[in-house]
Amino acid sequence: MNTLFLKRLITTSIGRKALMAASGLLLGLFMLVHLAENLLLFKGEVFYNTYVDFLLSNPLTIFLEFGLLGLFIVHITMGVWVRIEDFINAPRGYEARKWQGGRTIGSSTMLYTAAAILAYLAYHMLTFRFVDHSIGFYQMITSAFRSKMFVAVYIGGALALVLHLSHGMQSAFQTLGVNHPKYTPLIKLGGWLVALAMMIFAFISVYYLLNLDLKACGTSEMLVIR
Amino acid sequence: MTNNHFDVTIRVWRQNGPDEPGRMVAYKVKDISPDMSFLEMIDVLNEDLIKKNEQPITVESDCREGICGCCGLVVNGEVHGPDEHSTVCQLHMRRFKEGDVITVEPWRVKSFPIIKDLAVDRSALDRIIQAGGYISVNTGAAPDANAIPVDKETAEEAMDSAACIGCGACVAACPNGAAMLFTGAKVSQLALLPQGKPERERRAICMLEAMDKESFGNCSNEYECEAVCPKEVKVSNIARLNREFLLANLLGKTEPNAPAKHLISTPDVPEED
Repeated sequence: MNTLFLKRLITTSIGRKALMAASGLLLGLFMLVHLAENLLLFKGEVFYNTYVDFLLSNPLTIFLEFGLLGLFIVHITMGVWVRIEDFINAPRGYEARKWQGGRTIGSSTMLYTAAAILAYLAYHMLTFRFVDHSIGFYQMITSAFRSKMFVAVYIGGALALVLHLSHGMQSAFQTLGVNHPKYTPLIKLGGWLVALAMMIFAFISVYYLLNLDLKACGTSEMLVIR
Repeated sequence: MTNNHFDVTIRVWRQNGPDEPGRMVAYKVKDISPDMSFLEMIDVLNEDLIKKNEQPITVESDCREGICGCCGLVVNGEVHGPDEHSTVCQLHMRRFKEGDVITVEPWRVKSFPIIKDLAVDRSALDRIIQAGGYISVNTGAAPDANAIPVDKETAEEAMDSAACIGCGACVAACPNGAAMLFTGAKVSQLALLPQGKPERERRAICMLEAMDKESFGNCSNEYECEAVCPKEVKVSNIARLNREFLLANLLGKTEPNAPAKHLISTPDVPEED
């Protein structure tokens, strides 16, 4: 059996980057689904908790969760590998160096935003995933959003995602060989839109921080009772 | 006639050999004409150094008209100097003024070891070409010009890729020291044309593997290469290399290192024991 072509995905530079790009695009897609789910919070406690129960009652969900873990592992492993090689081989020692306009804030900070996202992800898992869910998911999430400390960290995570995706989304297409005079400008625009959409996560948390949900219902007294 | 002449200070990288330590050395260059090219200014400085019985600065150049790819310097931190999309031999002293301090450095790329002063060894790029940047043809009479039709757009695109002069500026400007623009252009110029099609899968895999063997970094799609390329080679060539490689690797039916079938000669008479 010929397995050389599979090995080449690991042993060649383009193979490693293609794995990083493909897993990155799928993670970006996951973030959009996650965002759509977070928007369901606005439908209210009963609706949201019913949706979560529906998700968790599906026996396939656990496989999807492991699939997601796998995507993160592939993306991070390949990313770190590629970066170590870059670190070793990068031109060094220029007395003066002027960038010529190719680099962007997003592209030059990919490693740092990646580290910030990973740190945020660990915090996110500890606050939402590996905790007691008996008070109900809606309660758990919205009460976290009412903490200034949490929202500050949450906005930081969202900003890191915006920067990371502003370069990452369009870069992934280029790495997978998709470059066309008609579609590349659209891909770049789409990449930016997906990146900026990550700010909606932050807006949702601020909405709850300012108790706008309670004000909307005219039940701000509810907060005092709780 | 000398009223518009001026003096500059050149801070230049001096290094005696590949393993010797290097350092920046400042030289005053007097009475420079604004019409001189940057390399002519270095020639003047070198003549001066020779007169003083000092080692002249080793700098590589050949055509001095921006088409050979021999010259390549980092001037004031800019690859090929401050002029956009041109080689450093096309840089003229009129871009500078009296009293300027000009920093001149070689390509500081791991895979391009410094031979002496400003000259670097770019044979890593040659080894990528040797791995597949060619087409195998039968020799014989020249084929009829229009025997293989190529549409104008494709011919132009292939020509734009073939404009690469292999100067190495893309590697020198890359934050990671990647040679993807070079390799992309060299794969593209042949992949686009019918003459290059029969070997395109083999070529993409072999040239990429040869590139990976040299100490180049990975492309992170920051496009600093495109911004400095004197021949304006586009990063769409990098995407094409990615595409050519991934398709060849995942969908190609033969392994690139296996000898092509038409090259295996079958003896007419079986060998006797």
